[in-house]
Amino acid sequence: MNDDDLRTAFAQLRESESKDVPPFLSGVPVPSPARHNLRLAFVAALLVLLVAVGYFGRKREVMTTTSISTWRAPTDFLLRTPGRELIDSVPQLTPQIPGGRS
Amino acid sequence: MTCHTDTLPAALIGSRVMQRAELERELEQLHPASFAWALGCCRRDRDDAEEVLQNVYVTVLDGRATFDGRSTLKTWLFAVIRRKATAYYRIRAVRYALLLRFGGGQASSPVQRSQTDLIGALAQLPRRQREVVELVFYHDMTVDDAAAIMGVSAGSARVHYDRAKKKLRVLLEVKS
Repeated sequence: MNDDDLRTAFAQLRESESKDVPPFLSGVPVPSPARHNLRLAFVAALLVLLVAVGYFGRKREVMTTTSISTWRAPTDFLLRTPGRELIDSVPQLTPQIPGGRS
Repeated sequence: MTCHTDTLPAALIGSRVMQRAELERELEQLHPASFAWALGCCRRDRDDAEEVLQNVYVTVLDGRATFDGRSTLKTWLFAVIRRKATAYYRIRAVRYALLLRFGGGQASSPVQRSQTDLIGALAQLPRRQREVVELVFYHDMTVDDAAAIMGVSAGSARVHYDRAKKKLRVLLEVKS
């Protein structure tokens, strides 16, 4: 079998397959300009929404800040050690000596 | 099968508005050859070939794959089809494995039988050998064009081509 035989075999295959070619662009959705514009509008609206959320979110954060006099550190509770009440209050020194004068 | 379009006009490549209509017309002219190549890339599975080609057309017409005019439109399109088919089968690897056993029914006429033999022999070739031999013999391309489509060097394509021919001869002579 030489190159010509191979060529003939391929030509026969090509001929038989070319008889049954599906129509061009069958089932291919053709993107219309309106659809493209709609997609662009959606992306633009999404961007505007993101910017708005970012802007107003930051503004609210500024408004809710508390004054320095009432501010408490989030780690304040760590300073509350066990036995703290003994340090905070002065112990009463009124000894009750049995048999002694009161 | 001959290529109707060698290169697109330079103005066409630059103009995006004109590109769509013109490109559709060029693609339509190349459609029979494109489908035949898609069949080759999809191991002669018609449904897969149609799906791959549909994906290619959507990609090209949406502008996600753009022709830069460095090669002929046919060479570029064939390379896109090949890439899409590869990606398609990478996703559907299991089905691809099942498709290896095709050419089941016995053909009745001698011509059909020889075609079945050829398809069966092609299926036994390694991928690159199958591609180069199909591009040269089926699509009447040069080995250099085939190399461009396959993304390999011309020298490498020539080696694949020679090996493919030798192997095809052996396989077809055994069957006949």
